[in-house]
Amino acid sequence: MSGENGLSTRQLKIGYDTDLVRDITMEVRPGRLVTLIGPNGCGKTTLLMTLTGALKKRGGLVFLDGVDLSSLKPDETAEKMSVVMTDRVRPELMTCREVVELGRYPYTGRFGVLSGHDREVVREAMAWAEVTDLASRFFQNLSDGQRQRVMLARAVCQEPEILVLDEPTSFLDIRHKLNILEKVVSLVREKNIAVLMSIHELEIAMRISDHVVALGEGRILKAGPPEEIFREDFIRKLYRIEGMDAGILGGKFWFDPVKEESSRRIIPERSKERRPKVLMIQGTMSGAGKSLITAGLCRIFAGDGYRVAPFKSQNMALNSCVTEEGLEMGRAQVMQAECAGIKPLAEMNPILLKPTDDRGSQLIIRGEVVGNMSASEYFRRKAGYKETILAAYERLCRIADVIIVEGAGSPVELNLKKDDIVNMGLAEMLDAPVLLVGDIDRGGIFAQLLGTLDLLEADERKRVKGLLVNKFRGDETLFENGVRILEERGHTKVVGVIPHLPLRFDDEDSLSDRFKNTRIKSFNIAVIRFPHISNFTDLNPFEQIGEVSVRFVTSPEEVKDPDLIVLPGSKNTIEDLRWMKEVCLADTVRKEAKKGKVIFGICGGYQMLGRRILDPAHTECGGEEAGLSLLPVDTVLGTEKIRRAYTGRIANAGGILHALKGLPAEGYEIHMGRTTPYEDVMEFTSGKTGYCKEQIYGCYIHGIFDKREIAETTILAIAKERGKEIRTAELEDYAAFKESQYDLLASKLRSCLDMKYIRAVMGFEDDD
Amino acid sequence: MSKKRVALYFIIMTGLTLLFVCVSTGLGSVRIPAVQVLKILLGGRTGEVESNIIFHIRMPRALAAILLGGALALSGYILQTFFQNPVVGPFVLGISSGAKLTVALAMIASLKMGRAMDLKTMVLASFAGSVFAMTFVLLISLRVRSMSVLVVCGIMIGYLCSAITDFAVTFADDSDIVNLHNWSMGSLSGVKWDELRVILVIVLFCLLISGFLVKPMSAYRLGEVYARSAGVNVILLRVMLILVSCLLAACVTAFAGPISFVGIAIPHLVRSLLKTDAPHIMIPAGFLGGALVTLLCDVIARTVFAPTEVSISSVTAVLLVPVVILMLIGRSRKRVKA
Repeated sequence: MSGENGLSTRQLKIGYDTDLVRDITMEVRPGRLVTLIGPNGCGKTTLLMTLTGALKKRGGLVFLDGVDLSSLKPDETAEKMSVVMTDRVRPELMTCREVVELGRYPYTGRFGVLSGHDREVVREAMAWAEVTDLASRFFQNLSDGQRQRVMLARAVCQEPEILVLDEPTSFLDIRHKLNILEKVVSLVREKNIAVLMSIHELEIAMRISDHVVALGEGRILKAGPPEEIFREDFIRKLYRIEGMDAGILGGKFWFDPVKEESSRRIIPERSKERRPKVLMIQGTMSGAGKSLITAGLCRIFAGDGYRVAPFKSQNMALNSCVTEEGLEMGRAQVMQAECAGIKPLAEMNPILLKPTDDRGSQLIIRGEVVGNMSASEYFRRKAGYKETILAAYERLCRIADVIIVEGAGSPVELNLKKDDIVNMGLAEMLDAPVLLVGDIDRGGIFAQLLGTLDLLEADERKRVKGLLVNKFRGDETLFENGVRILEERGHTKVVGVIPHLPLRFDDEDSLSDRFKNTRIKSFNIAVIRFPHISNFTDLNPFEQIGEVSVRFVTSPEEVKDPDLIVLPGSKNTIEDLRWMKEVCLADTVRKEAKKGKVIFGICGGYQMLGRRILDPAHTECGGEEAGLSLLPVDTVLGTEKIRRAYTGRIANAGGILHALKGLPAEGYEIHMGRTTPYEDVMEFTSGKTGYCKEQIYGCYIHGIFDKREIAETTILAIAKERGKEIRTAELEDYAAFKESQYDLLASKLRSCLDMKYIRAVMGFEDDD
Repeated sequence: MSKKRVALYFIIMTGLTLLFVCVSTGLGSVRIPAVQVLKILLGGRTGEVESNIIFHIRMPRALAAILLGGALALSGYILQTFFQNPVVGPFVLGISSGAKLTVALAMIASLKMGRAMDLKTMVLASFAGSVFAMTFVLLISLRVRSMSVLVVCGIMIGYLCSAITDFAVTFADDSDIVNLHNWSMGSLSGVKWDELRVILVIVLFCLLISGFLVKPMSAYRLGEVYARSAGVNVILLRVMLILVSCLLAACVTAFAGPISFVGIAIPHLVRSLLKTDAPHIMIPAGFLGGALVTLLCDVIARTVFAPTEVSISSVTAVLLVPVVILMLIGRSRKRVKA
């Protein structure tokens, strides 16, 4: 599968008027640095020229990402491959910026006008290559080293998957050599680019290459890892220096057979054994408990001292989080990362779909919004995201010893199975063993597990190494018979029967049980359940308090004299606002506000509390919608998505919650609008992220109640006002609370899973 | 490349061109004061004779100078981009001479048949000749990479074509040969409105095509390998560049005879003034520069030895050859330094 990426040749024949080199069959894969060595005139440059299309091949085939190069137009090739050659181009009066800007050629329109994004890429590439200060100098007046860096910036600007370099370090002094090599290596290791590079300096080639191709005598004389190529006898033969004293050159051109074997490479490539162990959890249906089991396994392996990373190729969820880099990812993977004890990375969830309406979703790739896409369009294009997924996974491989992969939905949605990238398709790409989870609580466990197994293709079935029965209530011994039946009929081991765990977590699906909660306790929080509700986990911390009920309401009748009304986030603020007016909840909220109730709006809910919401850029449905006019603010929706982690404090607070003033606040922001007051009003959360007036509080900060002090003060202040007595002793910082829940989850899972078997399936040796 | 410098250039050059249009229409054997010229140009009729002179003789001539001068400079700039060498131009490469040869032959042939040549035939003959000469140059450029050899070959082809032209002229036995001779010396005299219309169409067409070539041309500045790797269809670009430059040079030669050195010197001058070689600036700026200089040279050709008219090519040569020589010296010095 991934074998098709990169550049490869089959029996390629090259030369000008006669065959110079024949039978060239080689491969350059993403994330690999392949060097080309050989004596002068052996055809290195000719080969590179042929591969880039500058020279006609004389026979054989060249493939770019699995496609025959000769069938591609120059502009199609250009988006995948860029080059830095040795010809000394000396364009007259051309500034370095102009040179680098040419890298954007494949991406600009007919007249080559650069967009804002293009300029940004150019700026970044120049900064990366350290040529920003040369921008307005003329290229012709630069030194060789500077020129090479500018050309490298140009090549990187082209955003290639494959980079071809012809002797990039010739003519350079050692400082510039180092500089250029460092950058090339970083492209390979960090950006996963495939690099093919011809080079004369053997001492360099033997240290940086992943793979070496030696050309000589009109063919590939030898190809392989550096330790196989750089042997004295072979190098002497290749360059025909048998019997000559190479000491005069002062360099080292081959490995010392004994000493250097271990310390030879400056950038060690992960060897096969050091690949992380991987396990995939798939479910018979959504909500079977994959996320939680994945999280638990992350915690278990983390507890055993491994570096663990969760991974889910594609997530369809309304609730998302923002990483420290300001990238957006699914909530469940954040929770799993927290379990694993590492920072959440967008790579753990390379594709995130946030449904915006019944047919479409916002598509977020590697944490950045790419645009809106209909389900059918996404389905058509999803095969194209394989690379994105694999690249993200590879990056995780570099930081983790164990990767727990989560599937999505059921692996046997037969109508959608083509080009699968989330379940069995992904398992195959990653070569991961699979555990299949069924939900006994919802009934039909045998049909779920055995049916799913039955519907899998034979080779997919082989990947399923174990079954899990989840959410079992009651005495497990009563199910022993069930386990036997599952093992007999499914020919697969049952690796655990997991009891129903009374855990409270941030979960991701809008199918959440929380919505069904109708019990009113002594402290009554009503959360407006918008049709497009999102990031509704903001209220979860309150669930720690036994006397507090958090209810999601969809009609005025359900509101029932609340102590606190919360307007949560929304994926489509204007539509939800209209909905709220239609079902008369808008009036209800206004009435309760008049009675002096505390109204708290977060993100979309905060926007609705204002006077109006304008959508000039058609971010949602365009036009203007009047808000609830409880806060004197206006919101303008824009096209730019604001995502950032937030650390600040409650700048000011009046009314019932005045005690909040000065408390530190943390959380994150994800929104597409800017909200500004139109008259003098009290700033609520610092940094103009929220405002308040009397009992009405609004802010953009998700997770604001995760801090114990804020949650506690809010509850106590309202309770006091309403003459209630609420004990909040159980309340702790939500982070600490979650940690304890994670530990609980891990210990429960450990006790009912056959960890020894799971480890064996993952390929752990006993002494690992 | 500073935007201010570019803007200033365009403002000054446009102003100067307008000024010289007035000067050009005012000067001549019948001197018309500037105030009167302006009045006539702005629509106020002052005397039949003057307005006739201006509208039927001097105005078309001035406009032809502008369009053809611009065309020459543009043709030169495109060729320089193509060969990546600032020392080439349509005249140096023999393209103009090739056009001259075929036009002369066509002229003699049509005179033999007893009728004057129409515009279409003339343009076509000229275009055929320029493409013919260019093909020769290209064949040589495929063989030798050295630019000096290429230029020498171009000059040789130019001489060869001129020799054949002279030969044909010598043996053509008609009194109209005088005309032919005048034409082959290069002159803008006697350009009529209907000719001007054809010129306008061709030049605008070429300018439009050049506009579409701006993007690939800018990538081509880094050479063929990089252009291709950036996604340029190099072969298509090369064909387009050749055709456009040939068409421009042919158009000039057909209507005004060979005018030397504008194509090579003007792009160089404009480049050094603007400190950039970016096509999207150089195409309009070079055009404007060529227009102004040719207009100026035409005024000089008409007035300095009045009533005798000097061939415009002589004037351009006298004015621009020093520029070319200075450029060559400058380049060789730079090379020594580098």
